[in-house]
Amino acid sequence: MAYDSASLDKPLETLKAFDWGGDVAAFEPIDAAVIAVHADPAARADLEKRLAALLTAGTSRAAKEYVCRKLSLIGTAASVPTLAALLPDTDNSHMARFALERINAAEAGAALRQALGTVQGDLKIGMISSLAGRGDTTCVPMLASLLAGDTRTAIAAADALGRIHTPEAVQALTAAGGVSDQAVAAAIVDARLACAESLLKQGKRSEATAIYKSLADAAAAGTTPAAKSTRLAAARGILACLDTTSPS
Amino acid sequence: MGHHTPVRPASDPKGQTTGTRRGFLKGIGAAAGGTIVAPYVITSTALGNASTPPASDRIVMGGIGIGNMGSGDQNAFLGRSDVQYVAVCDVRKKWRDDGKGRVDGKYGNGDCAAYVDFRELLARDDLDAVHIATPDHWHAIMTIAACRSGKDVYLQKPETLTLREGPLMVAAARRYGRVVSGGSQRVLEDYRDIVHPCWAGEIGAIQSVDISVGGPSQPCYLPAQETPTDIDWDLWLGPAPWEPYNSGRCDGNFGTGGNSWRSYIDYSGGSLTDWGAHHFGGTIFATDLRELQPVKATYHPASADGKQAAYASVTYPNNVTIYHNRPNELRPATPSVAHGGSIQITGDGRAREAKPVPVYKGTGGIYGDFIECVKTRERPFRDIELAVNTMTGPHMIGIAYRLQRSLNWDVAAQQFTGDAEANRLLDRARREPWIL
Repeated sequence: MAYDSASLDKPLETLKAFDWGGDVAAFEPIDAAVIAVHADPAARADLEKRLAALLTAGTSRAAKEYVCRKLSLIGTAASVPTLAALLPDTDNSHMARFALERINAAEAGAALRQALGTVQGDLKIGMISSLAGRGDTTCVPMLASLLAGDTRTAIAAADALGRIHTPEAVQALTAAGGVSDQAVAAAIVDARLACAESLLKQGKRSEATAIYKSLADAAAAGTTPAAKSTRLAAARGILACLDTTSPS
Repeated sequence: MGHHTPVRPASDPKGQTTGTRRGFLKGIGAAAGGTIVAPYVITSTALGNASTPPASDRIVMGGIGIGNMGSGDQNAFLGRSDVQYVAVCDVRKKWRDDGKGRVDGKYGNGDCAAYVDFRELLARDDLDAVHIATPDHWHAIMTIAACRSGKDVYLQKPETLTLREGPLMVAAARRYGRVVSGGSQRVLEDYRDIVHPCWAGEIGAIQSVDISVGGPSQPCYLPAQETPTDIDWDLWLGPAPWEPYNSGRCDGNFGTGGNSWRSYIDYSGGSLTDWGAHHFGGTIFATDLRELQPVKATYHPASADGKQAAYASVTYPNNVTIYHNRPNELRPATPSVAHGGSIQITGDGRAREAKPVPVYKGTGGIYGDFIECVKTRERPFRDIELAVNTMTGPHMIGIAYRLQRSLNWDVAAQQFTGDAEANRLLDRARREPWIL
């Protein structure tokens, strides 16, 4: 089906005041357009612009959610400023991330990092979650600094560093290994194990072994939480590093 | 995962964990270091008998998500003499109370702890294993958290909601050496009519399979209703987008026609992954594809005259193709074997060497298989890695339907090849404060 911008005038206008329980059949032309613009950059840009224009104060929360879902499929850097404006908004922050996390543009990562430095509490954890989901390597220094913050944020930062698992992430986690908060320390152990697994998969056996040995030593010394499970996990990792016959 | 400030067990307003076997014994042990002032009577139940192992040899379990399918799983584990069931968790009071009632009724006491928040249950160090039967959007977060906390896991199917979740769940299981079993009790038991001829080599090399099962889930726009006081709605939603409460959004019934969470995209893959977990699971087991993932999903558009609906298929590296809802007139006229009207398998008819059919370990079906593996540390029949492989096909088909085009899957990279939009659908942002 060819894209017809004019055919969306009424559905988009109706969408502004949409609430849960409303007639979603009215939006079927929008749903179809999202599919139709796949191989038509000009049409896609037009549709994206028209959808993003609805992310304003006069649009209902349900409608914003609908728009963010569509932008998660077709959004580009062009939508980022509009979506980024919603990141500090408690009601809409998650759905803005729903779109931004999927937009493969540097601007989307920059917007999430910018928000990471300004929002607080659960919203900050949300930014960490989305940056981890994107595998954003640029945010590693910011995440590293959060390892010394409040418990919940520090745990999320450790989880994210484990997902990102760059050499810089490994370094940050290693440097933070001595934290006193046991819940954070456990998350750091888990993240370091994840990093070691990634290194092993890349064939970097010596680097992986170094992490596993460090964790095994710490567990033996009783300086990690859940020492038994850490010791076992590290031992399994060391054995895997020694097994050069198996695929990394 | 995310970490809330823990909430208290529902049954205990003071936040004190209700009595547990090991906690009690630990307390006794501590007392033994000082002066024991109370007599300690070892009951016959604790000591066990010819048919019941002593308490110290039983697998200590709890359940998360205890309504509908969760209650079935609970009853299966509760009925085992080698399981000591000590805790339930559900965000709904009725199901929590019912679940606790079943346990207390079984043991004739009031000891079963009941929690609203799964993190409270997982924080207990006396649990060996948990079963999880929440809506699908919770599966990955809870399974990974359970592995981290040293618990083995029996996880209801479909094990994953997104393609990205699978490898992370497998990694957590392997990292901590946990036994994680998927939960499709039908795969081995209900599909013997196709499993045995295939493994016996009677139908030759598998060429194609036709599966008839419902389609993918849909967005949910149900109207807001007043949130009942007996459900923690925010925790029910968890990592899913905030939406207003509606009983049809969160009902746990097995329908997918719009009156259950199984109908909706934020919580489920729809029939395609729900009943599909059984039909695809049975098929993939029968055709011995459990170690593989598809390399291609093909979208077959509806006919121009609208008489023939769209359908889709996935193709494996060995060229076996599994079709979803292919029109009857396009299917082989005489399939080699069939499971009713839902699965038809066609082979080349040249008999091959028979292979022994894998079976459950232990006794008691898939539940017994899991418990046996908890004891022996072997991998269960539906090990999480096999389950993830199995669910990859239905997920790929769901994405092909959604985008209305064919897709190529790079198994090693766990990405679609040459389709950035499809790769956007590998995963989804989780609502704060949840992180995978």
